[in-house]
Amino acid sequence: MKKIRDFINRADIRKFRFWLQLFFFILFIYGGYFSINLGNSIPVFSCGYDREVGGMCYFLPLQHQLARPLDVLFSAASISVLIGFITFLVWFIVFNKAWCGYACPLGTMQDWLTSLRKKMGIRYSTYTQPQFDKLKKIKYIMLALVILAPMAVGLGLLGGEWRTAFCEICPGRMITPLFVGDTSQWSLDFSTKSAMILTTLGLVFTGLFVVGSFIKKRFFCFFCPMSAMHYIFSDAALLKLKKDGDKCTKCGDCYTVCDMQIKDIADDVQSTNILRDDCILCLKCVAACPEDDVLHVELVNYPIFKSTKGGFAKRMQMDRWEKKDE
Amino acid sequence: MVDFIKRDKDDIYAKPIIGFLFKNQKFLMALKIVVLALFIYAIYFGYAHTGKDNTFTWAVFWGIFWSLFMVITLPTLGRVFCGICPHGFMGKYITKFGLKKTMPKWMQNPYIGLFLLVIGWWGIYYIFPGIYRTPLGTAILFTVMTLLSFVIYFLYKDMSYCKYICPIGTLTRAYSKLSFTWLGTYKSACDDCKTFECATACPYNLKPFTFDKRNSMTDCTLCMDCSAACEAVSFKVKKPSFSMFSKFQILKAEVWAFVLILASIPITMAFHHGIGRSNAAGDMIWSKTAEFLKGYISFGSVDPIGLFAFLYAMLFTVLAAVIGMFIASHILKKDFSKIFYDLGYSYAPLFILGSIAHTLETFFTRSYARIVEGFAYGFGFTIDVASLANRGDSWLHIFGLLKWVAITWALIILYKRMKLLDAEKMRKIIAYPFAASLIIFFLSVNMYRGHILDTYGRASGGHGNHGGGAKMFQAVSNDKATILQSGRSKNSCTTCGMKLINSYKANHAAKQDGVTKQFCSIHCFSKENGIKKTPLTDFQVVDLKSLKFIDAEKAYYVLGSKKRGVMSKTSKLAFALEADALAFITKNGGKIVNFDEAYKNALKDFKRKPAQSFKKPTSEDVIYFSDTNPKAKKKKSYVGGHSHGGSRNKVASKKIWPIFEDEFGKKNCIGDISAELYLLDANLVVTKAKQSREGACKSVSFKMPDNGYYNLFYSDKEVQNNTLYLKTAKYEYRRFNHSNDAIYDEKKMSAHSINEVPFDILRLREDGETFYHRLYSGDKIRLKVLLDSKPVKGASLTLSTKTGWSKSIKTDKDGVAAFVLLKDYFPEWNKFDRRHKNKFLLTATYTKDIKGKYLDDEYEKEKYTATYTSQYYPGTSEYSSYAYGLFAATATAILSGFVIYWFRKRRERPFKEVRFDEKN
Repeated sequence: MKKIRDFINRADIRKFRFWLQLFFFILFIYGGYFSINLGNSIPVFSCGYDREVGGMCYFLPLQHQLARPLDVLFSAASISVLIGFITFLVWFIVFNKAWCGYACPLGTMQDWLTSLRKKMGIRYSTYTQPQFDKLKKIKYIMLALVILAPMAVGLGLLGGEWRTAFCEICPGRMITPLFVGDTSQWSLDFSTKSAMILTTLGLVFTGLFVVGSFIKKRFFCFFCPMSAMHYIFSDAALLKLKKDGDKCTKCGDCYTVCDMQIKDIADDVQSTNILRDDCILCLKCVAACPEDDVLHVELVNYPIFKSTKGGFAKRMQMDRWEKKDE
Repeated sequence: MVDFIKRDKDDIYAKPIIGFLFKNQKFLMALKIVVLALFIYAIYFGYAHTGKDNTFTWAVFWGIFWSLFMVITLPTLGRVFCGICPHGFMGKYITKFGLKKTMPKWMQNPYIGLFLLVIGWWGIYYIFPGIYRTPLGTAILFTVMTLLSFVIYFLYKDMSYCKYICPIGTLTRAYSKLSFTWLGTYKSACDDCKTFECATACPYNLKPFTFDKRNSMTDCTLCMDCSAACEAVSFKVKKPSFSMFSKFQILKAEVWAFVLILASIPITMAFHHGIGRSNAAGDMIWSKTAEFLKGYISFGSVDPIGLFAFLYAMLFTVLAAVIGMFIASHILKKDFSKIFYDLGYSYAPLFILGSIAHTLETFFTRSYARIVEGFAYGFGFTIDVASLANRGDSWLHIFGLLKWVAITWALIILYKRMKLLDAEKMRKIIAYPFAASLIIFFLSVNMYRGHILDTYGRASGGHGNHGGGAKMFQAVSNDKATILQSGRSKNSCTTCGMKLINSYKANHAAKQDGVTKQFCSIHCFSKENGIKKTPLTDFQVVDLKSLKFIDAEKAYYVLGSKKRGVMSKTSKLAFALEADALAFITKNGGKIVNFDEAYKNALKDFKRKPAQSFKKPTSEDVIYFSDTNPKAKKKKSYVGGHSHGGSRNKVASKKIWPIFEDEFGKKNCIGDISAELYLLDANLVVTKAKQSREGACKSVSFKMPDNGYYNLFYSDKEVQNNTLYLKTAKYEYRRFNHSNDAIYDEKKMSAHSINEVPFDILRLREDGETFYHRLYSGDKIRLKVLLDSKPVKGASLTLSTKTGWSKSIKTDKDGVAAFVLLKDYFPEWNKFDRRHKNKFLLTATYTKDIKGKYLDDEYEKEKYTATYTSQYYPGTSEYSSYAYGLFAATATAILSGFVIYWFRKRRERPFKEVRFDEKN
């Protein structure tokens, strides 16, 4: 048992993550070719505009459901909304935000862009802390758009093209179908003024997405409404990222490796549950922590991956340095 | 006492305008005086104008004060109503000069007020509907309450009336716990205080400086007297219902207020007014009990159904609360009363939020206009205002959301209060659903109400019980009506299903095979007897005088009086005695006739108005199907949007009109379809279709239970000028209910013809068509023309669009012709509608020189015509552009890439050594 645990704690999380991300990427983007369909309440951006999708992003059906006329929405049809929502929760609750770090195809694409940048030897950008504090609120505005825009359509306040307003501006709609050779989303719709605005925004955001995530790690995830939605329910999730503040030396390694620039991971020594709304649960921080058991991941209160001195040493290939010293 | 304090950010007193409204004593005094004046004036007005035309008293008391102002302020701002209540305002001064006795112990009981509200107000309200809401009733009620309050204020000290007797005192105290305002004090100042000005200033003898510590504002009515006495008093914005999330001293009456008010308002309303207005009302337990007891007890003017709805609602609600809490207390191993009163606070949001929804909805649909008009009337001028919304406006449904907010909120409060208990976690989790029993009960009553109304439908007659609503002259209350029928729908007219009591004075009855049938009026009776030819005997009619059934053939009918008729223009009312009839005539006009004449008059209603003279299609006219009625007046229709779920139980249907164009291009419909009509359904079964009965412009309707193509065929044969004309029209409609498990069966979905129709056009399917298939401009359509199920060469096929463009080609040897649907839609760019339907018509003609005979008429040639109508939408290339799309994306990418590059470049500073010259 101890051996297994040691093996896990010393594992190369980066490799593990790369393969898992690739697996999920193929599952979600090309699932249709293998006739896989995980339903349409998937808590990641596996875009429904991809015709071979292996399981659809929850926001597309959610927006369609919410866009029903209100009297229909609050009658028996609310059950279908509820069922979709509960399925979403069931998917989400098991893996918490690890969906973002490990399964989200759009996130995976951003990670690939980042590694491309690394190979090209271009340095990355970060936000300053005040910028970051402001920007992270955008995702809640986006979440409000996801929920309120279709309801306003149902009320009759907005035209039908606002039904999936978020999807119209989401870069996933443009980029994901490209992987199955579908370019039909890359067009501006001039049929109405709001369709024009929305599709233009969508393509502008797509441009920004490519450049942004090339320069800044996980650029889009700061604005992702799915991340906001996750955070609302993350207290109930089974997988948890915990911190033992007493043992923390505030060395800041975890903050340095964090793609999402979460300051609390290093600074906060009070709270045990260290998951923040931006966190993508990529576990880089756990792998980078040089102290025993400061950060650990728990599944239903059972620790499955801990930070250890040994693991840190192995990952940092300290033995090589030691040999050199000798 | 302090004169100055640095106020926190969340202190309302520190806010510029709102702070003034809540703190400025002069403003508050002025406001209270205005409210008092309005109160007295409205009562006076109630005495002065007792008639129905007095809308002012209604507007003040039942339009504004209850429930609009009350329910909206209570869960938000708190007891601000009490702060400006005229009773409290006057009471403060009366108490000052009063006897200042201590109230006897038995009267120091908030249950008195609660009892007055629940039994004295709501009980009476249901038992004697409409008694309070008349101007006089209102005036008397408030006079009595005012005098009572003045006596009590005079006798006893510390505003005991508000605390114990006032019917809404306990209610406001309880529900204000949900509000987000909090009157407290600044602890830093109060710690050194030795004088306690706030407590001395308080007319209720409360101690504001203890509110924060006690986590309860007890009886505070927000009169703001303390804030005038000392600056350390604060009025803060907090989280809604925050005080309920921690411990405070409970008041048992508050929990009972939550339970009983929930029972007497939303639950009874759901029973009596919600379900009570459905067609299933008679099957409910309260109606049955009332019906059962009617046989033993005479209820007089009591509304027994209201009474029992109220009693049962009370019983069910209390039982739901008590049983659930009892089980929960056992699971938690705690004392029942502790659990009940501790957790009972979670019931608070249920009533008040649901009530806000109802109040706002009525405010927008009705009350707003009534309030404004009432006030105008009260001050001597007349205004006619339109309502802010119409009943059924879709945005009003947003208030339905509040009910769900209430339930969620209640569950959250329950969760937080559960957390405060010290018990094992497991037990708490198990006990939670039981403790939530009343919340679940509330939810299920609401769902049940919706279910009943959806399944059984709303009974016609609407707001009969609400008082004030205009009733038909013929309507009577339940107890006065005699129902001769039996069975499930005994309260409804046999023929039309209308509620019998709503037109009771015109009711008729007759026997069919010994079973009595009752009819709303002679209209329905004569429809059954005269039109449907149902064998009926023993005709009976209601005598207007005694309201009992009498023999119809001996009755004296008054024809055409001023009273409105039931389902007919001329009213026909019956009397047993001629004298009564004559008395009625002198008042309302009309003439006396016997039954036969009345019956004949009723039958007249069924004679159709002379049908509009429709042109008949000549043999050369081309008949085709249209999905719009050419004769109908243009209506603005709801464009776009899917029919989601809503009518799940209903089978979709389609209605289409066969039409033809005359020589002027004007569309005409057919007055009577003599041709054969066939329907080929999605499962390829052929049935004969029938023309509609209604309307002079004949249509054909068919039901579409399955996904797939439905084809309607029109086939006509006639011989004219030695030519046999064979005309067919076809309408092909794809029905798809957007279900996930529909399978696209290519065989079934391909184009089909039927043997009954000799000449036909098929639209050949392209590869990869799905249920979502649509035609767009730029698409190529291929059409096959069949004659006697064989492809025909050389038939002429014409495609014409609505705009007048047309093109003809001949079919090739396979009977196929192809068209490209041209772009035929050129709106101004900002009026573009991508769901614009371009209707087009395909006409195939073919002439064969064959001699023959059809129905004794000989002919020398056969002329075939077939039509096919469909529609196409603007193609995507008409409104979307890849070039611009790609440009937008790449331009952004390049631009932002350049900006980043430039930004980085600028920040790169070359290394520079900075030297300091130490001498300077």
